[in-house]
Amino acid sequence: MAGRVALIGYAQSYHRENMQKTREDMVFEVVREAFLEAGIRREDVDTVVSASTDFLDGRTISNVFLSMANGAFLKDESKVEEDGAFALLYAFMRIRAGTHDIALVSAHTQTSTFNPHQVSFYTLDPLFDRQIGILNDIAASALQARIYMNRACVSEEHIAMVALKNLRNAASNPYAHRRMPDVSLEEIMGSKPYYDPIRELTMSPRSDGACAVVLASEEKAYEYTDAPVWIEGVGCCQDGYLRDRSLERLDSLKIAADKAYEMAGVKDPYAELDVVEVTERFAHEELLFYEALGLCRPGKAKVLIEEGVTELGGALPVNPSGGALGADPICATGLIRVVEAAKQIRGEAERHQIPEVRKALAHGQFGICAQKNVVFILGG
Amino acid sequence: MGYLKDERPETMCVQGQWNIGAYKYKASTLMEEYVQGLRERKLVASLCFGCGKVILPPRNLCGRCHRRMDGRRVVSDRGTITCFIVSPPVQKGKLRVLGTDPVETGVLKEGEILVPVFVRFDGSDSNVNTLLIGADPDSVHIGMRVKAVWAKETRGALSDLEGVEPIEK
Amino acid sequence: MAKRNVAIIGCGQTKHSSRRRDVNLAELVSEAVYNALEDAQTHLGEVDAFIVGNMQGFGGVAQPEQWLGDWIGAPGKPVLRIATGGTTGGSVGQAAYYAVASGLYDVVVAVAWEKHSDSKEPGATMGLTHVGFANFCHAFGHGLSLRNLLATSAVGAAAGVAVYQARFYMHRSGCRIEHFDMVAAKSRRNAAKNKYAHLQWPNCTPEDIAKTELIAYPFRYGHICPASDGASAIVVAREEIALKKAKQPAWFKGVAAYTDEENQLQSESFGGVGVLDPSEQMGCRVSAMRVYEMAGIKDPKQEIDVAEIYQPFPSQELIFAERLGLFDDGTAWQALERGETDIDGRIPLDPSGGVNATNAIGSSALQRILEAALQVMGKAEEHQVPKKVRNALAHGWGGVTNFVTVTLLGDTPAQRR
Repeated sequence: MAGRVALIGYAQSYHRENMQKTREDMVFEVVREAFLEAGIRREDVDTVVSASTDFLDGRTISNVFLSMANGAFLKDESKVEEDGAFALLYAFMRIRAGTHDIALVSAHTQTSTFNPHQVSFYTLDPLFDRQIGILNDIAASALQARIYMNRACVSEEHIAMVALKNLRNAASNPYAHRRMPDVSLEEIMGSKPYYDPIRELTMSPRSDGACAVVLASEEKAYEYTDAPVWIEGVGCCQDGYLRDRSLERLDSLKIAADKAYEMAGVKDPYAELDVVEVTERFAHEELLFYEALGLCRPGKAKVLIEEGVTELGGALPVNPSGGALGADPICATGLIRVVEAAKQIRGEAERHQIPEVRKALAHGQFGICAQKNVVFILGG
Repeated sequence: MGYLKDERPETMCVQGQWNIGAYKYKASTLMEEYVQGLRERKLVASLCFGCGKVILPPRNLCGRCHRRMDGRRVVSDRGTITCFIVSPPVQKGKLRVLGTDPVETGVLKEGEILVPVFVRFDGSDSNVNTLLIGADPDSVHIGMRVKAVWAKETRGALSDLEGVEPIEK
Repeated sequence: MAKRNVAIIGCGQTKHSSRRRDVNLAELVSEAVYNALEDAQTHLGEVDAFIVGNMQGFGGVAQPEQWLGDWIGAPGKPVLRIATGGTTGGSVGQAAYYAVASGLYDVVVAVAWEKHSDSKEPGATMGLTHVGFANFCHAFGHGLSLRNLLATSAVGAAAGVAVYQARFYMHRSGCRIEHFDMVAAKSRRNAAKNKYAHLQWPNCTPEDIAKTELIAYPFRYGHICPASDGASAIVVAREEIALKKAKQPAWFKGVAAYTDEENQLQSESFGGVGVLDPSEQMGCRVSAMRVYEMAGIKDPKQEIDVAEIYQPFPSQELIFAERLGLFDDGTAWQALERGETDIDGRIPLDPSGGVNATNAIGSSALQRILEAALQVMGKAEEHQVPKKVRNALAHGWGGVTNFVTVTLLGDTPAQRR
């Protein structure tokens, strides 16, 4: 039986809408801090897995000039071309394979380089959807929102309540940049409309940011820290293409979550999880996540938000860090959720700390309407 | 693959494009320091205080030590050729770069022979990629001693360093 | 070596050509996947995960597996996208190994592809230009003269990096341009025995290559790899399943991908690099050492039976063969002269024709692993080397010659600890 894998250190940048740093500097600083936080030197690292995409960075082989910043000189390196949470999955596999003991996972995007919504347009089917030119990731997500709203009798107000929760939570998170402690429901529902029902304040902002995590095998974890955060379960799944899947539910997330729960021995997620960090590019996605993660019965996600269950002080807080609505440096966002969940377990979340967290769920996604998802169950 | 679809000679063709021009890249300020040095006919390299490597043109990070290359060192403008290419005579219609033919636009002259070289300036631990000027292409060899050729009027730009020329024995 | 033994149980590729206009991208990829599944006697229901990769900038479709996943049976399964430049295919193949070795998945399909003909610019020129594009933008802003840029980077065109590398090697070792002619001719002759290869020339001689025009000494037009449309796929499985499905699985005995400092080209923001000799390839040396250690290989010169080396330029077959420990420094060209690297020689290099004859960039490093697997499995048909293959090495390089993947496949699983 393969050994366990733990997070022994992590770091993230202070995310900004337009960071005045080159991506090399941004990545270097975050990786350096992660090494310091984990108490390791670059020499101790066996393998580096980074996450970035060519289209978002505007460079073919986006990591080719970043290997040195990632600390990957003469290290076994690879790059995942999607969210950092998937890079974490890959690094996890590398350690569990028994070939490496310490892994560095690094993820970054500077959306100030290129409009990420434009990049999402290029992910559409080039034969038909791109030719017709109506859809982009926001428009498609709006369709998903509307389908879900009809099915589950969810109103725009419910969606705005999710945004309200996250934007206010982000105010306690020094790393997020869209912090609105005093935002009101009216302000959210009156913010600039994109594609009905999506508005400026119900979708994630454009951000520059980076995140890095250090993983260790079971044998090595206690050499470096007294408080390793164990990866107890993981699940990953990709859905069919946009027009060929059922948008009202997130089947791929359900499959991924069920796999993660099975691996972690979680039978009743609502009861056993203490905190959940999800990547909600759009506020309505969080409601779909509640259902797919099995936190409520199908169609009942609105109950969780109506009754404040997922608030900071509720029975099962979701996104105490503010989630993606607080800061969304695309490829780094999922990995940041993992870091925020790990911080909760270690008691390092400061102003948005939830008391007594033993088990947490972290989620990353990629693709239009959350086409692919990865779920981690972390334990102290 | 017969069972996927009927064989056909050509698929339909649909157009699309990717707008590389709309990207905004971030640049480091290191280049500023370097070109200010060039204005004064100086080659300013970066130095790593960890391993002592001297790199020209200057770079921000030392990958071996995983630290910033904070040091600066002015290296000699004399050096050695470590590698070279001798192009065949430039011809119209052979090269297209950025959508144009450089002979047509007058950037390169028809029939000229270009000799791009790698030069290791004395004191530096890196190669600089530049042009060999004013030398007989047949005389170029690895180990040839050269010195920098500066623009008549330097203005703080990369073009201030026009290339290198052989040092007379 | 790792706790689980993992093997390749089936391989599939598409016919490579400069313009596969008979299929669209999704059809091209699924051709390779279905060929691989058929070869592995595995059906889609048995596949636990997919690992995919290509250079998305070349085809102009971002995250293409999100669209074409439906074609290959991916919905409802985990899909991981890996992209590392020229080594993409090798990274994809190695990721499939780790996926199964980790115990998370039992059967994984790895597929990598490139469809160059989809982009308007010939070959991969546009995509390759973008490797350094961001740096050049920055340099233009600081007065980089166009003449200097054209002269230093454009001479040798896409080959630029490799031309210098070849010159360094020639200077060190005494190798001559004739040896590159010999390698290029051998690649095309071998490719003629490979029904999927692109540049097939059954009786190609070094003299035929020498007749072609010089691009920039020592590279001729006849030396250069083509830009191909194509895809390769492998099916990777854990030990119990591999033993059931394949008569002779190709076991993973060693994998490594140690990154070097950027070679030759600038680092980020146009800075220089500390690598003085781009044919040094420290990353390749270290990767090979690690792979031999994992596999228990003490003397690669004797124990490696065949090697698939990533050689878009013939000079690289010789350079990397030495870096992989198959020949002493500076002697690979002599072994070539003696016929040791021919398909029926002592240590055949690139019996499939290699990247020199077929280059679908995203896929070509996976194709090296695939061809090495075919040799071990005895399925290489006309280009099967006429000797018992116990150990086959597959290599890939990419990026600005700073990325490398080295994979060793063998006819028996590695020793258990």
